[in-house]
Amino acid sequence: MRRSRYLSGPGLWLMLFLLVGVLVGLSPGLAETLKVERAGTQMYPTPNFGSTPLGSVPAGADVAVMSRSGDWVQVNYEGKTGWVHKTAFPQAAGGGVKMPGFLTGGPVRETRSDEVALAGKGFTPEVEAGYRQKNPGLNYAAVDQVERFQVNPTQLAAFIREGGLTP
Amino acid sequence: MRLKIWGIMGLITGVFFLAGFQLPNLPVPVPSAPVPVPSEAGKAISVGAKAAQKSMVAAKGISDSEEYYIGRAVAARLLSRNSLSQNQAATTYINEVGEAVAKKSTMPRTYRGYHFGILETSDPNAYACPGGIILITRGLIKECQNEDELAAVLAHEVAHIANKDGIKSINKSRWTEVLTSTGAEAARQYGGGVAGSLVSMFESSIDDVFKTLVVNGYSRAAEENADRAAVTTLTRAGYNPAALAAILSRLSSKGGGGGIFTSHPLTSQRVEAVKMLAREGTKSPQEQVRTKRFQQMRF
Repeated sequence: MRRSRYLSGPGLWLMLFLLVGVLVGLSPGLAETLKVERAGTQMYPTPNFGSTPLGSVPAGADVAVMSRSGDWVQVNYEGKTGWVHKTAFPQAAGGGVKMPGFLTGGPVRETRSDEVALAGKGFTPEVEAGYRQKNPGLNYAAVDQVERFQVNPTQLAAFIREGGLTP
Repeated sequence: MRLKIWGIMGLITGVFFLAGFQLPNLPVPVPSAPVPVPSEAGKAISVGAKAAQKSMVAAKGISDSEEYYIGRAVAARLLSRNSLSQNQAATTYINEVGEAVAKKSTMPRTYRGYHFGILETSDPNAYACPGGIILITRGLIKECQNEDELAAVLAHEVAHIANKDGIKSINKSRWTEVLTSTGAEAARQYGGGVAGSLVSMFESSIDDVFKTLVVNGYSRAAEENADRAAVTTLTRAGYNPAALAAILSRLSSKGGGGGIFTSHPLTSQRVEAVKMLAREGTKSPQEQVRTKRFQQMRF
């Protein structure tokens, strides 16, 4: 049986190269998913906390990543597209799926002492630590106490109901 | 000939996909750290990367997390002047009222949520720390005659946070400096590393916010905007919006200087403007329930 002249010699190899390129190229990028790890995660129509949430995404749910913008990740969850803050994905806070070393360079090393990296991040826990060290009289313990206080959602719902307020 | 065309097309497409396999992730433009490259050529690449990082950071403005750390520092300063109330029942109560209004505000949630605390002082005042911490003094709670007036005060403070009035008080040139600093530039200017200079800039930013919150007060426009937002929030939450005018009138009639008169300039025009926004009506049965639970609370 005579083989097609288009599928022989260098042409065959190039076709195979193309096929592998398409398969390897598409799979990790388009299928990136992240697992929501924080309870009470909300999905917003725009990448900021100012907008009214579209709905919540339960902890443990897998969401498909559409794009990113600063601290926000645009995701698709159960057919709805919206923005979720990166703190919902602590394991993946450094970024999405990467294939380091091939065409895109080696792995990026996170060097906490790297001052340029710190400058790029602006005001961080490290900067706060430096500020606290410089100002030991500040009452950060009381700030932590204020932040630790959480209103029980069931109790809040009962409070709203009892007062005839809007839930 | 056709073989060559197929080959070239295949080669181009294959390389495109292999090189661009991360395209869906490309909108992430914030490199976390430069790639260490030892050679001279590598150093040149690294300098280029730093310049790119500088311009990208300059474009991003103050992030939610940066706002949060600024707010924590402002709160730490306030709490080093006045102690935090350890009254659990009262703290629970103001957090419930605060959450009930915050969720109906223009910013229902912040980076780490809203948190409300009571400062142990008889001086009537309230402070909105950027990011979501709101501190109200026991003196101001005592000035409130019912839950709706307390909700009005908290809704006003939530509006300052939502409008980022504290953050806006940071000297613009200072923030530009924070965003555009690179290692060499900052080290030259501050005689130390970037970490040290960032701490200095952080400290100066806190000074700016603190000065506005405590010493100079917000601008008249910021107060009027916060009043308008508070009336809308109160209405949406189910509270009586006229409660804001009631508490402001009471504070205004007492007169005096300093304290809340400095931090939240209280002019007669401002009180009249708020009265125009929401007129006093008859009290609903639910409002009486709320007043009763307020009066039962021991602050």
